[in-house]
Amino acid sequence: MMPQSQYQRDRCVTGIDGLDEILRGGIPYGSTVLVAGTCGSGKTTLAMEFLVQGALQGEACAHFSATEPSVKLLENVRQFNFFDMRLVDQGRINVFDMDVLFSWLGMSKSSFDMDDIDAMVKAITDIVNTIGVTRLVIDSVTTLCYKIPNEQLIRDFLFKLGKSLSTLGCTSLLVSEITSAGAKSYWSSFGVEEAILDGIMVLGDIERMGHLLRFIQVVKMRGTPHSRAKYALELTPNGVMMTPMLKWGAVND
Amino acid sequence: MIELDAGIADQLTEIGPASSIQVRVGTSNSFLVMCSLLQPLLQDFGMHGIYICASRSAAEMIQTFDSAGIDSTNLHFIDTVSSGFIGGTNNEYENIEYIDSPIMLESIMLRTLYWLESDPETPFFVVVDSVNALSIYNEGRMLAEYLHTFINTFRSREVLTAIVNVPDQTPPGVLANLDLYCTDLIDRGQVVIN
Repeated sequence: MMPQSQYQRDRCVTGIDGLDEILRGGIPYGSTVLVAGTCGSGKTTLAMEFLVQGALQGEACAHFSATEPSVKLLENVRQFNFFDMRLVDQGRINVFDMDVLFSWLGMSKSSFDMDDIDAMVKAITDIVNTIGVTRLVIDSVTTLCYKIPNEQLIRDFLFKLGKSLSTLGCTSLLVSEITSAGAKSYWSSFGVEEAILDGIMVLGDIERMGHLLRFIQVVKMRGTPHSRAKYALELTPNGVMMTPMLKWGAVND
Repeated sequence: MIELDAGIADQLTEIGPASSIQVRVGTSNSFLVMCSLLQPLLQDFGMHGIYICASRSAAEMIQTFDSAGIDSTNLHFIDTVSSGFIGGTNNEYENIEYIDSPIMLESIMLRTLYWLESDPETPFFVVVDSVNALSIYNEGRMLAEYLHTFINTFRSREVLTAIVNVPDQTPPGVLANLDLYCTDLIDRGQVVIN
């Protein structure tokens, strides 16, 4: 029998059905995790449920929406039973439009330089610090990175952001849009996010005889042992549900 | 109204809540066996059921059960058949949920778990109708793996499962695995030996 380590990092229990079991207890506190997925794979729903579960436990949560206006985002998640608009009204989930944030910061350029990146990281961390946010989602970090002209700056941005959020004890999900979730694909749009961040969860589809089945796979999570298997994922009215994917059915045909 | 098979009701009284029953039917008596299974579970034991339709559409099953005097109010249907043809999902029933295809076995599992978790206080049973229909779409070893996972998942949650099959039309490997996994057998298979 393998000797077990006595030390265990405190966990942010996601509250998402199945995910905490996959992570052997949850995401280590203060981690910055990439949620990389193809379109329609359930990234936004999973990320929002992560915040709702935190808010229901009394945590302060923040959602930074870069892909769609927050009004549209909230309209889409209202169909789910797990979502309660009162959590937003009561300020337990704070939703920010990145476009509005850029406008406040006077960042109207189509391409960001280092000063802009510093200002963006400072604005996000100021909000986290002021509200006492312990769970944060940026959906999507890919949209933000499109404004950053080179890989080095993207790496700097993510490193600074992750470090600042971690220092503040904030567990963060950075949603990333990818075009393929196959074995040879990158886990991120720019190929640099995956190396810097603490964890990577990949969401995608398996095609089985013309039908798409959603899956989730935790590829990396520092600070915890975890399953690296593929799990089938379903979006139910109560939120995300997972079950181990059939071994004989876990490959694209 | 039809005359039910009282032997099935008698057998059910001796079966525990975490049991997995292999229900063998013949091509000519499947409806009678299903009614004889559902009636005591719903009426006598006061259970609610999740009925996974892979052979016939849920709407057809509801109408058929109604005609036999089986109240399907406490049955929730997961229909893997009706999305296979345009217009199949157009009906007035609110206790039917549709899955695109019987190939989406994990979705069937998750939707079943969803309904169980939506009403955790109520004792439930789950019926898979049928293994034969699922085997049309799913390769034998994947179906055997699925049934293995399916039965064990619900047994661990103390949910009674009934796996319906026509034994002389079920892939031998799948049937052998059912013999191994299931705790009980209701045998109305009517195997014809030529």
